[in-house]
Amino acid sequence: MLELKTMPNAESVLDHQYLEMRWRALSLAADLDRIQRAAGGTEVIRDDLRLFKLRRVFELLLSDTHDRAEQVQMILSDATPWPE
Amino acid sequence: MKFIDPHIHCVSRTTDDYLFMARAGVVAVSEPAFWAGYDRSSAASFGDYFRHLLDIEPKRAAKYGIDHYSWLCINAKEAENVELSREVIKLIPPLLDNPRVLGIGEIGLNKNTRNEITVFEEQVEIAAKHNQLILIHTPHLEDKHKGTAIITSILKNDKRIRPERVLIDHCEEHTIRIARENGFWA
Repeated sequence: MLELKTMPNAESVLDHQYLEMRWRALSLAADLDRIQRAAGGTEVIRDDLRLFKLRRVFELLLSDTHDRAEQVQMILSDATPWPE
Repeated sequence: MKFIDPHIHCVSRTTDDYLFMARAGVVAVSEPAFWAGYDRSSAASFGDYFRHLLDIEPKRAAKYGIDHYSWLCINAKEAENVELSREVIKLIPPLLDNPRVLGIGEIGLNKNTRNEITVFEEQVEIAAKHNQLILIHTPHLEDKHKGTAIITSILKNDKRIRPERVLIDHCEEHTIRIARENGFWA
């Protein structure tokens, strides 16, 4: 019979996930640097709608909230009407 | 532990996969009709595919003690071609009495286009007319939330469709609520 294990606490979840979270943050930073350095980078970083949405995502990640994944999905979802 | 795999595309699985599934405790599988990795050129190709699903795959699975069942449809990825889709849809009703058929699926949307919606509605019509269970595919690449909202709205507006006979697959954090709060399985 399988032994039932208790749910891990927050610190052990963080221990498990931290390196993954760290490389994702670094990867995003490098992506933004790459865009910034390219021709027209400053304007794209400032004006592109997709990056505007990502900026909202980053703000959400820093906030004290629940259901982050659901809220991020909604920020990135298409709110336009159905096709005619 | 014995269990059922509710969503697997066995036609693209090797016999080794069947062996490993059997060793892991899989006793039955449910295979939705889907894309072959390329767009098929004629309805006859789908006729062969349905024969594969209903004749060949159950025999292959049975060699490993696994019971194989299928859902039939033209999938959303190939539904942009409405004319071809209608030819394929005509093939389905005569097959619905086959004991290996679970229902219509996986139908739904891929890029949320008008043509996909038309073909989806026509397959919902087949399901309603023949009192079939429905398995829904929601978009992976185009907008999942929008596609799921369109699909559930169409299903809810058809009073012949009972939500408890519909399973909405591929839900994520932002779409599972739409499915569950409207009474669908997810």
